[in-house]
Amino acid sequence: MLLASCSRRAESPVPVEIEHEVSPAPARVGPVTITFKLADSNGKLITGAHIAIEADMSHAGMSPVFAEAKEEAAGRYKAHLEFQMAGDWVILLHVTLPGGKKLEQQIDVRDVRPN
Amino acid sequence: MNLSSIPAQETNPEVRPFDLMHVPVVGDLFRWRYARPVLQAPLLVLSIIMILHGLFGPTLAPKNLATTLSWLHFRGILVLVLLCAGNFFCLACPFMLVRQAARRFFKPRFNWPRTLRNKWISVGLFVLILFTYELFDLWSSPWWTAWLIVGYFLSVLVVDGFFKHASFCKFVCPIGQFNFVASTLSPFEVKVREQDVCTRCHTKDCIRGRREPVSDLVTIRGCELALFQPSKVGNMDCTFCLDCVHACPHDNIGILSRLPGSELMTDPIRSGIGYFSRRKDLAALAIVFTFGALLNAFGMVSPVYAVETWLGRILHVNHEAPVLGVIFTFFLIAEPVLLLGLAAWLTRAWSGSQRALLPLAIRYTYGIVPLGFGMWLAHYCFHFLTGLYTVIPVTQNTIASLGRPFLGEPRWSLTGLPANIVQVIEIGFLVLGLAGSLVVTYGLAEDDSPDKPLRAFLPWAAVCLILWCASMWLMFQPMEMRATMMMSG
Ligand code: SF4
Ligand code: SF4
Ligand SMILES: [Cu+2]
Repeated sequence: MLLASCSRRAESPVPVEIEHEVSPAPARVGPVTITFKLADSNGKLITGAHIAIEADMSHAGMSPVFAEAKEEAAGRYKAHLEFQMAGDWVILLHVTLPGGKKLEQQIDVRDVRPN
Repeated sequence: MNLSSIPAQETNPEVRPFDLMHVPVVGDLFRWRYARPVLQAPLLVLSIIMILHGLFGPTLAPKNLATTLSWLHFRGILVLVLLCAGNFFCLACPFMLVRQAARRFFKPRFNWPRTLRNKWISVGLFVLILFTYELFDLWSSPWWTAWLIVGYFLSVLVVDGFFKHASFCKFVCPIGQFNFVASTLSPFEVKVREQDVCTRCHTKDCIRGRREPVSDLVTIRGCELALFQPSKVGNMDCTFCLDCVHACPHDNIGILSRLPGSELMTDPIRSGIGYFSRRKDLAALAIVFTFGALLNAFGMVSPVYAVETWLGRILHVNHEAPVLGVIFTFFLIAEPVLLLGLAAWLTRAWSGSQRALLPLAIRYTYGIVPLGFGMWLAHYCFHFLTGLYTVIPVTQNTIASLGRPFLGEPRWSLTGLPANIVQVIEIGFLVLGLAGSLVVTYGLAEDDSPDKPLRAFLPWAAVCLILWCASMWLMFQPMEMRATMMMSG
């Protein structure tokens, strides 16, 4: 089962809708896959964006994990991450749109289960 | 031989205790009158940076100096210094520097009320901090962490603004109480070198303060915590402020080595404290210190979430506060009363001790302090050591965000020691705590029931083992530190 959710509209002059899915759901310690769908305000998929990912825990003392998302299909991006510890994770997306515009988005992945 | 009734360094008059004041540089620093402010100033600067970063910096805890320094480095270094030396945090306490500055303008006028001259307020605040830590997930919130520090500064200013002496340290400060209890296990103590010198001394400046001959104005303060050096026993209530060291005209006070925990095994009358065995408030503090250590660790491991969800379901509540209330009541009241009460009752029945049940329970309660300290050490060192180097990238990032990255790009890959090594250290601390508790409770049993020490000791050994097993179990649970508990909605 995939958990789908629609994030808040990113705070940027370019209205972009980012939808994300984390699998497995609920997320567990170990490798996870995150897929994103990027669309503009009219629902048109955005291709050719660059998404750099940084995942932190909600508490101090752990290193962040970095990854890059690859475009799998038009407007659909996929990234592989490794959650090293159970608990609450926060994923930061650094998105660069084809026009060069940058935006950031935060996604909370709460309650990552221990193995 | 009954070791417990003889203060450590008097067992053999030939063995002179090691005196930290005689160590070059360190001793010179401590003898200097301005040692305290000089040690406090850097911590004050650090607290201001933490407050500013907590309020205005990144909201993510792993990127913020307030959360990183408070919950990893401060707590870890604090317990390690207590274990290896003594209550040197209180010596360098930044709150007291601000208080000193404020007292130049506002002289306190009141004496701390007699009815409040005990630890009940600080025990309550200690519990309150543990409670808010869980309820507001302080470890994951730079903002709340910053406000906690601000709140601390404000409380110091209010309490010591109105009340004379070190009322805040002695009767209010929860960090201070933590340090006082833990420092009973420290290897150093601020102590007179030669009792004879004190007997011959007429001025007693260590408590009265050094005064100007004519005006009788105090030029160097005497002990603000009401500890009279010649009859002071142990580290309880001592902030290591060194006022007494500077005030003594005979240079008769040192920072002397001693057997850690030896002060827990004896029950003499103590200056500024009285008898340990008659202080219900102090015993309550020892209970909160020890059982709170287990509770605080329990709050971060996976099983707590199952317990919280289960409790929420049977109590039909969706809010965390009442559920935490039940957990706290169980850990800090029900469990200690049951365990310690039962052990006291058995000790009385088996050893034929003449003491009433409550004084007997109070007396032995100090014996579990080493176990508690072992647990705090294990827990705080886990966070400190596994996240040891994270302060480097967080600092680099902070400086880079100010626009001048002279420390370079943040090296986020720096974390800390590997978990398997840290785990060995944790087990070491827990074993040390168990050993300490067994020695102390046996010492108390020997002192209390000289003819049947083993019978008096066994129930307490059982209590120690139960607490130790609980600590070991906790340390092997997966850490989770989740901010939310009831996702049911
Ligand atoms: S410590 Fe110093 S001031 Fe205090 S009684 Fe002894 S000799 Fe006197
Ligand atoms: S005995 Fe009193 S004056 Fe001396 S270091 Fe301790 S708290 Fe300070
Ligand atoms: Cu913890």
